[in-house]
Amino acid sequence: MSQPYVLQLATERTQWLSARQTLIASNVANANTPAYRATDLQPFSAVLDSTQVSMVTTDPAHMTPSQDDFTAARVVESDPTDETVSGNSVQLEQEMIKLGDVSRDYSMGTNIKRAIHQMMMSALK
Amino acid sequence: MPDPLQSSLRIAGAGLEAQSVRLRVISENIANSQSTGSTPGSDPYARQTVSFDNELDRAAGLSLVRVKGIGVDDAAFKIEHDPGNPAADEKGFVKMPNVDVLTELADMREANRTYEANLQVAKQSADLMGMTVNLLKDA
Repeated sequence: MSQPYVLQLATERTQWLSARQTLIASNVANANTPAYRATDLQPFSAVLDSTQVSMVTTDPAHMTPSQDDFTAARVVESDPTDETVSGNSVQLEQEMIKLGDVSRDYSMGTNIKRAIHQMMMSALK
Repeated sequence: MPDPLQSSLRIAGAGLEAQSVRLRVISENIANSQSTGSTPGSDPYARQTVSFDNELDRAAGLSLVRVKGIGVDDAAFKIEHDPGNPAADEKGFVKMPNVDVLTELADMREANRTYEANLQVAKQSADLMGMTVNLLKDA
């Protein structure tokens, strides 16, 4: 039995959020590093668009796109006036906002998983 | 590939370490803001500076931070007239450290702010891991 689509979606979402958390951590740690450019992930909707249609592999030579492509980091374009003299483009406030977003969405992801699980359990009992 | 949340904790840890080195250097500067030389005409304490560098952990693909080096500020020393000082030259002038306490305090506030931000990231990464583990609780 394959897992419900919602469960799979919630899993992908939390994976994406974990990867994003790593980038936020890098940005915050390098908030005072000269010439460091702030990075972020491509939006989850873009990840979703690229994964929605998955082709069936009917031949061993068929290739499936690797999971890493979907979470590829991109350099965030920053307003040059917000850049420090040392060429650092990290804005600590912005990173803290992103941190809050990740926390909220991650909590939603795990709660969806919990809800789906409870629904499955109610069918079993 | 290691767990991204574990990686976040490692990165935040590197950030905390770098900022605490910075705070240490700031406190050294403030503590020595009046440290003159001991012999007549000798140089006083020279202000120290910290620079950071982005360190790429290739194995894990992480962008950590490390202290690149502790340098010496080569700004000119302040000259004060204090003939009674053991470090005074024959004209009574003493070279004082090139430390500006106000600059150090401002730097300290910034280090503090970045330290707190890193701490926040570490705390939250742990919280996120906790959320996943708690899925088992009412299963």
